Amino acid sequence: MSRIARATGRALLVTAMVCGAATLAWSHHAAAPVFDMNAEKTVRGVVKQVDWTNPHIWIWLDVQNASAQVETWGFEGMSPNFLARRGWTRTSLLPGMRITVTFRPLRDGKAGGMFMTGKLEDGKVLTSAGAE
Amino acid sequence: MKHATRIVLLLVTGVTIAVAAQESKSKPPSAADWTALAKLPDLTGVWEAPTVGRGGRGPAAGPPPVPQLTPAYAAKKRELDARNLDDTEAANCLPTGMPAIMGHPYPYEFLLTPGKVTIVSEAYMQVRHIYTDGRPLSADPDPTFNGTSIGRWDRDTLVVETIGFSPLTTIARSTPHSDKMRIVERFRLTGPDTMSIETTVTDPEALTTPWTTTRTLARHREWTIREYICEENNRNFLDAQGKAGVKLALPAKEE
Repeated sequence: MSRIARATGRALLVTAMVCGAATLAWSHHAAAPVFDMNAEKTVRGVVKQVDWTNPHIWIWLDVQNASAQVETWGFEGMSPNFLARRGWTRTSLLPGMRITVTFRPLRDGKAGGMFMTGKLEDGKVLTSAGAE
Repeated sequence: MKHATRIVLLLVTGVTIAVAAQESKSKPPSAADWTALAKLPDLTGVWEAPTVGRGGRGPAAGPPPVPQLTPAYAAKKRELDARNLDDTEAANCLPTGMPAIMGHPYPYEFLLTPGKVTIVSEAYMQVRHIYTDGRPLSADPDPTFNGTSIGRWDRDTLVVETIGFSPLTTIARSTPHSDKMRIVERFRLTGPDTMSIETTVTDPEALTTPWTTTRTLARHREWTIREYICEENNRNFLDAQGKAGVKLALPAKEE
């Protein structure tokens, strides 16, 4: 198997794992009616606020748009209960941290979505299935 | 006159029996009652269905069986399906009730005390009270989300019978039940830290055959149950038209 094929395979496996976890853990509400589960987008910004709350954590990110204005995006994550058992803590993400977020966009086109992964500047990756 | 006396006598006898039953129920547990618990299969601790987060979803299973509905209830389901509801009231934080409460991707804590098994469900912070003191199932309990339960030990298996469900709960998605729904669960250890729960739903008005599903839980000795207040920061909603949405607005109060 070529290196590219292996890398692609790995990426697909990770995606499948993350999707699986999301499906299992979203019993509080159905994801598909509000998030486009077939789309994946990426945005880079500075963490403004983290709501370490039930039924979902919310990560608020300040993102500079094309006209250099700062817009605040909101990302729904799993519950703190689920994440705390899988390597996250309430200080895993702190205001001021720069992160790249991959997400399933909101269907209504607003600035936000379902949090899938967050890549920190030090290379650490937080996913909806747990912290690496 | 004779007839009236007999009725009074019957009433007095009935009251006496009821009082005696009440007294036996409220009798404080003895040391022997606590000791007897140690001889039961140890279901205590915190349990959760395996997820990919723990490194696998467990053995591959076929598609879960679907409840087989009577024509009247199949028509009710078609009516509900035609409304195209995006989601359930759980999005508005309404607990799911039985049997869905036992299918959450959140842990459960099992507690065994004399005459009772208590199941604490982390999701929605729900509690199931299962009386194992030999009392009969109430004949006509008030309908509730989790129903009214009694349990008994069938050798190594805890058999729980539950009746009396709120009409706000469902058998499955868009699948209403009648007031005759009855759920029997069989809880059994299948390994040092694995438990199988076989759940059978019967409903002579809604189902043509009993609906049986099985779920396996894994024990996590190191875990504790966490708080889960759904209303703490619930941004999801299902509106009156059945449309789901997300309230996307940064809270004014910063942490």
